[in-house]
Amino acid sequence: MADVKAEPHTGAVKFSMLIAGAVFALMMVIGLVMRAAQGNLIELEAPFFYQLLSVHGAGMVGTAGLSGAAVMWYFVGRYVPLSARMYWAFIALFLLGVVFILTAIFIGRYGGGWTFLFPLPAISGEAWEPWAAALFMLGYVSIGVGFLLYHLAVGYPIMKHYGGFARALGWHVGFGGADPADAPPPAIVAAAAVTIFNTIGIIVGAAVLVASLVHLLVPGFAVDALLAKNMIFFFGHVFINASIYMAVIAVYEIVPEYTGRPWKTSRVFVLAWTAILLFVMAVYPHHLLQDVVMPPWALVLGQVVSYLSGIPLLAVTAFSLCVYLHGSKMRWDLASSLLVLAVAGWSVGTVPAIIDGMISVNKIMHNTQWVPGHFHIYLLLGVVAMSFGFMAWLVRGTKASESGMSGLDRMAFGAYALGAAGFALMFLISGAMSVPRRWAVHLPEWVLQDRIATAFAVLVVVSTLVFVIKYAVRLGRAPG
Amino acid sequence: MRRPLLILSIAVFGSCVLFRQTLERDPVTHVLLLLPALAVAGWLMAVSLGRHRLRLREADANALTLLGVFAILFWMLPRYIDASLTNPLVEAAKFISVPLCIGAVLAVSWKATHPFLRGFLKANALSMLGVLAFLYIHAPVRICNSYLEVDQQRLGYGFLFVALALSLVWAVPLFFPADGGATPNKHLSGRATA
Amino acid sequence: MAKAKIRELFPVCAALALGIGVLWLATDGFRALTEEGARRLHAAKSKPKLPAFVLEDMNGDVLRLGPDSGKDGKTTLVTFIYTTCPTLCQAGGGDIAKLRDRLREMRLDGGVRLLSVSFDPVRDHPQQLRLYAEQHGADGAVWTIARPSAEALGSVIDGFGVRVIPDGWGGYQHNSALHVVDGEGRLTGIFDTDDIDGVLNAVRDGT
Repeated sequence: MADVKAEPHTGAVKFSMLIAGAVFALMMVIGLVMRAAQGNLIELEAPFFYQLLSVHGAGMVGTAGLSGAAVMWYFVGRYVPLSARMYWAFIALFLLGVVFILTAIFIGRYGGGWTFLFPLPAISGEAWEPWAAALFMLGYVSIGVGFLLYHLAVGYPIMKHYGGFARALGWHVGFGGADPADAPPPAIVAAAAVTIFNTIGIIVGAAVLVASLVHLLVPGFAVDALLAKNMIFFFGHVFINASIYMAVIAVYEIVPEYTGRPWKTSRVFVLAWTAILLFVMAVYPHHLLQDVVMPPWALVLGQVVSYLSGIPLLAVTAFSLCVYLHGSKMRWDLASSLLVLAVAGWSVGTVPAIIDGMISVNKIMHNTQWVPGHFHIYLLLGVVAMSFGFMAWLVRGTKASESGMSGLDRMAFGAYALGAAGFALMFLISGAMSVPRRWAVHLPEWVLQDRIATAFAVLVVVSTLVFVIKYAVRLGRAPG
Repeated sequence: MRRPLLILSIAVFGSCVLFRQTLERDPVTHVLLLLPALAVAGWLMAVSLGRHRLRLREADANALTLLGVFAILFWMLPRYIDASLTNPLVEAAKFISVPLCIGAVLAVSWKATHPFLRGFLKANALSMLGVLAFLYIHAPVRICNSYLEVDQQRLGYGFLFVALALSLVWAVPLFFPADGGATPNKHLSGRATA
Repeated sequence: MAKAKIRELFPVCAALALGIGVLWLATDGFRALTEEGARRLHAAKSKPKLPAFVLEDMNGDVLRLGPDSGKDGKTTLVTFIYTTCPTLCQAGGGDIAKLRDRLREMRLDGGVRLLSVSFDPVRDHPQQLRLYAEQHGADGAVWTIARPSAEALGSVIDGFGVRVIPDGWGGYQHNSALHVVDGEGRLTGIFDTDDIDGVLNAVRDGT
């Protein structure tokens, strides 16, 4: 392996981002359809709404994971040689999982939500057959195995090249007093941390998935519902966070090209990423604040770590970005604008997250649209914007005439920022008005927000189509 | 040949035969002590007889490791744990196949196995031990006819502890490799962004 | 190049095929991972002939089971119990009573009898069996309680493939299952005691 040169796998990554962009667009259309249905603008059968809700959740989380993985693969490839075969195996398993999930939902009518919470998949009231639930979970297993291979393929060479994860995480700088110049680059520190927590998440997720599958096949094997819920939310929380923390590597690696100042690993950066590594795994009980049977210490942990979780992000990524941007001759194009928007959106998204992470608030707000408001800021204005920024950067023009922002770019960027912010805001407003989440049919007094949200969703979908089509066109124009 | 290891191997195997009935009375000692001890005996045997003289190609090592894993899966089937208690032929097969097909095979193949396969198998081992713990602790179904339900639950907790112990044993060297990370590839770590 | 690729992939593919093949055979096509599963599959597939058993019923009368008993051609549904059991056998007794009522409803009770056999003949003398029968409404018409002699106990248990182990509290743990014995003394199926529909289907197919 040592004789192989470290070089990003541009082709494979561009292909992944094409899939990711297309699926993002499709899932956004599904989101638009659901909001329109809630706003009584179109008619949807309730069971079909729940199928759409399930595919939207699983599809968005899975695609966020895929695009984060592609970003990380690309930039880790600058520093260590990676195995292209393992990446293609990951993509193949991922797509196999997608086929399973789509079959389960649209042929098997599975509508039990992306969180497959026990025992819902097994007791559908005959809305779907057990095989559909089993196939849905097998789709997750396939994607999980793909991600396990992916993290082995990233983690092993990092471990070898940097002499173990302790050094890859920069602990010799963060805790040992070594010179920050000896630290691995930010991309490697982030990749090491994500690889560790996402692998642990996948191991836990695989265990609960297989146990749930056994229960579906042999109903005599009951599963402990509370333990299953804990494991599912540990896995789900870690996985979606991993997708964001993988995608943020694009900010560390691309923004310096625009500011002309390299993003360096500092002592604070190392400490922040070690904190992230721990917080991402410790914070998941904030998903279970309404489960009164949970031990109180776990819920307190969930609330306290929720408060703390924002700090490393804000202190390191957002604050550093401000410092790098300040006084530099930043060159603005679609890529850099989307990346900066993503960090801003992600930072703003911590506010409703922290509010929802308070036990007293959560008891009232958790089943309202406040929560989709919070995670749509994180995702739509965070990881998805980062992915689109990365895509724009992958196909950036090299000629001087293409270096700035075209009129279309400006319009699409503005529409996306406005649409995403407005769309998420409507969720937050509805949540504050106690509109429940996950309801197929809305009361007349909730319909106005639904319709406004639908309008914002149209803006998001149209601007996304501009991003994705432009990417596809430019891919075709400049092969490789 | 390394004689002390050979003697140790025979001693471990002999103790397994000698204390067979005591160990098999309780599923926890049966599954988590007797079976691993038999595998260790086979491993030691292979080491003492000079496994290093076998220069395996990676492809063959991968295949052998998979065979060893299948042997483990076979002896995780409750059906054959039960059968080994009542059928002397199955019991004999256990005492022969666990040392040879698991211990000796993995002793020969493991180090030459591709690191990705090793990592994959380790991660899966942790997951599946978790599943076993999950099912054995909560299943209202008796899994082995030869053992009581309370013992089954104890075995479930046993699987959980093994999973936690293995995750530590396997994770610590990833953070702090044996060579102390003294010679990281500096020429790759310092590259500035393009 | 292609040859090298085959050389590289062949061992792993062969190992996977061999391993999965062995596990497939060892578990009857992944259908029976446990001894109980294997026992049930074996009964349903090969319908083994049982040896002849002589039992003593709750009234002290002789009751024959196995090849000799087939004169009346009745299907016998056999469960194993011990009457001092605080848990499974009491719940199982309820299941059997339900099953008897369903048999009556479906007018199948003419060709079927229910038999609960104690594997604890020392403590479960006929008087004790009658007590259990009264508690669960086994009047002997369709449902009878019986015990083997202490000497015959082993052959009965082995014949059915039942496993009884002391639970350390003076009682036992044992398979809680319902065994279908057809008119010719063959064991044709084994079901959970609460799988009433499964049992009824088997009875209908058999008679």
